[in-house]
Amino acid sequence: MLYQPTRDPLVINRRRLIGFLGGAVAAGIISRDRALAYLQDASEKTGVTAEEWNPETIRALAGTREVDTAGDLHALVPESTEGTIQYWNVGPTEASPQITKDLYQEFLDTWALWYPNITLENQNVGYNDMLDKIRTAAAGGAAPDVAKMPILWGVEFAARGDTAEVTLEEFGWTAEQFWPGALKSVTWDGKLYGVPTNNETMAFIWNKQLFADAGLDPESPPATWDDVVAYSNQIKQETGKNGYGMVAKVNAGNTPFRFMPLLWAYGASALDEAVEEPTYDTTMINSPEGIAALQVMYDMYVRDQSVPTSALTNTQTENQDLFIAGEIAMMISHPSEYVAMTDRAAKATGADKERADQIVANMSYGLIPEGPARRAVVFGGSNAHIMSDAAHGAPVNREAARALVAALTGPEWSLKNNWADSNPANLVGFETEWMEQRLEEIKFLEVTTAMLPYGIPFPVVPESPEVMNIIVPEMLQNALTETMTVEDAANDAAERINALIASR
Amino acid sequence: MAIAEAPALAPRREPIAAPVRETLGRRISKHWSDYLYILPSLLVMLLVIGYPLVYTVWLSFHATPPRTGEWVFNGVQNYRDILSDPRFWRTTANTFYWTIGSTLFAFILGFGAALALHNPFPGRAVIRAILLIPWVISAVAAAYVWRWILHSDYGLVTGTLLQWGIIDRPLVLLDSKNRVMPTLIMVNVWKEFPFVMVMLTAGLQTVPEGLLRAARVDGAGAWQQFRHVTLPHLRGVILITTLLLLVINLNSFTLVWLMTGGGPANASQLWITEIYNIAFRTLQYGLASAFSVILFIIMLLLGYFYVKALTANTPRREE
Repeated sequence: MLYQPTRDPLVINRRRLIGFLGGAVAAGIISRDRALAYLQDASEKTGVTAEEWNPETIRALAGTREVDTAGDLHALVPESTEGTIQYWNVGPTEASPQITKDLYQEFLDTWALWYPNITLENQNVGYNDMLDKIRTAAAGGAAPDVAKMPILWGVEFAARGDTAEVTLEEFGWTAEQFWPGALKSVTWDGKLYGVPTNNETMAFIWNKQLFADAGLDPESPPATWDDVVAYSNQIKQETGKNGYGMVAKVNAGNTPFRFMPLLWAYGASALDEAVEEPTYDTTMINSPEGIAALQVMYDMYVRDQSVPTSALTNTQTENQDLFIAGEIAMMISHPSEYVAMTDRAAKATGADKERADQIVANMSYGLIPEGPARRAVVFGGSNAHIMSDAAHGAPVNREAARALVAALTGPEWSLKNNWADSNPANLVGFETEWMEQRLEEIKFLEVTTAMLPYGIPFPVVPESPEVMNIIVPEMLQNALTETMTVEDAANDAAERINALIASR
Repeated sequence: MAIAEAPALAPRREPIAAPVRETLGRRISKHWSDYLYILPSLLVMLLVIGYPLVYTVWLSFHATPPRTGEWVFNGVQNYRDILSDPRFWRTTANTFYWTIGSTLFAFILGFGAALALHNPFPGRAVIRAILLIPWVISAVAAAYVWRWILHSDYGLVTGTLLQWGIIDRPLVLLDSKNRVMPTLIMVNVWKEFPFVMVMLTAGLQTVPEGLLRAARVDGAGAWQQFRHVTLPHLRGVILITTLLLLVINLNSFTLVWLMTGGGPANASQLWITEIYNIAFRTLQYGLASAFSVILFIIMLLLGYFYVKALTANTPRREE
């Protein structure tokens, strides 16, 4: 299974990219703003450059390689391998698109064909419950053999010895097959404790009809975060609908994914993850830039009241309902949002269906707005981990675990398991026929792909889950409920982050 | 033949037995079979209650750095940290607000319902059954349904009031730091009042009709009958019901956790949700254990009063 990514010949150097983009602007294929956007990136953070990874190069790669997953797996771990393996993962929910649910089931069915003698005990756990559950299980020696966890959590488990050390070679992979930023998220103390399964960035979504109703240009999304505030307010004033779909719930993964791009865009960080050489030893959350970013949220929620009042208890799932009902005009989300909305519209009936269809037809994707410092987005994704014997409470079935992790991180299933909402972490996946199919089927996929170079990973430290899931959302809530002033809320968060750093 | 009378014997004076104070050992040995019968239950309780309890108390004297999983003995430092943290006192205020508010209103509503449904009337059984629904419904289901009903942007309440023109902006309840607690208490009262109703209905049925009739003959009005006959008879049931409600509400987790998670901005954070947060969100097991021990002591006190109330009128069994 020694696939080497063949993207190198397709790399467009910066000069060629500028020339290419200039031509595209002249031909009216893309706007000037978008062309300029491709030229400012945060690629040093993730190793994903705009020159190498842009809609054109991705389209050119797709369908250039055939893979034989079953053959590759059996070469690695024999088909006759026996045993039982427990596997926990954050899988599809009721709100997920049907294609996501179907492919999830297809993977489990295919596994049974690949390894008829390995019983896979699968548990699909909700995102907001999985962390508590697996932490508790690992502490009590009851963790599964293998877990697929969001990118934010892995290092905490690695630092505590709950995940086993691995090498890419034992799954048949090489480091070149993954983005460097993805591998960083499974690296602790110079050792590897997992394999990336998928990586993605989100994009900005807007309802063109609500823009038009509010007197805004329906084809132009806000270019900056200041524009988001102004547009949100204009939409509220002119239509009575909510402008921006803010999410500020505590301990919900959706919150940091939607606030951190703003914080980074203003030039601040939760620790110092957005600077060139992060040390993760200091916090920049209460810097003037951090306070300015928090002020943006305050202005929309408290001053203008142009966002849903339920933002403090909402996750993105609730925002989906509000968007499909035409109650919010803008939000940040995955490409899967379009598929999810199409699904919801298909299930609607009567007058609701007409309205839902209209909203789907008016749904558009663009780049996440930029701030005074940069354009930024969370470099997200998930990783597959083999748990340690101590966390599992018994020797892990390593051979079966190896087969499962290889299957999850291979070109085929790292793509199919993340069909509508992410990208294959194994870059060979971009070269498969299924990538070609995705590009044809999933509208706006190229926009979220275009955000990849602006991706900034969460701090790769064990404290990250607490910072992102608890401290940052509580800072938002303290400011938005006016329990504290904006500045005090930022200072309180900084104090708590510093206390965490000091407790290392 | 005359029967010579036997000389009268002086009555034999029985020595007065000094009261023998039985030792605990003797009393136990006297009841060995009783102990044998409850031994299996005691063993199970020791395993599932005793062991975790001792483990928690022991853990509460340790620092447990979240990233390492180590235990470092730190004496009473965890207790000091908790009691000196302003957040603990805010959470304590919330907990008392929640517990007293829920108990008081559930009691008033439940007592009212019990009195209203005490005298027979057509449809009484149906109404009683309907009123029991909140109590038998799962707390998880209730939490999700109420969250939807009260959602400030697409909830039933806001939607209806907006449609009727009663309000012109969404009614913010669960997202408001000032309204979240009264809202949660309202939901909790809805869930709990049938319990009070059931308990007091049972109590009302024990009030002797003869006494009430006698009071009526003596000219007592409805209020006087209630005040001087019914209420004294219900005193025991009221005490037990109130204590049970206090314990249930102090331990209450599901509704608050699922509806607000303790938010917004910790405005509905209770002791029990805070313990969960400290243990499973910030991984400070030692600190969470100390918090649990404090809560346990409070519960123990309430438990003592509960048992005392329960056994107050029970005659001591002769051994």
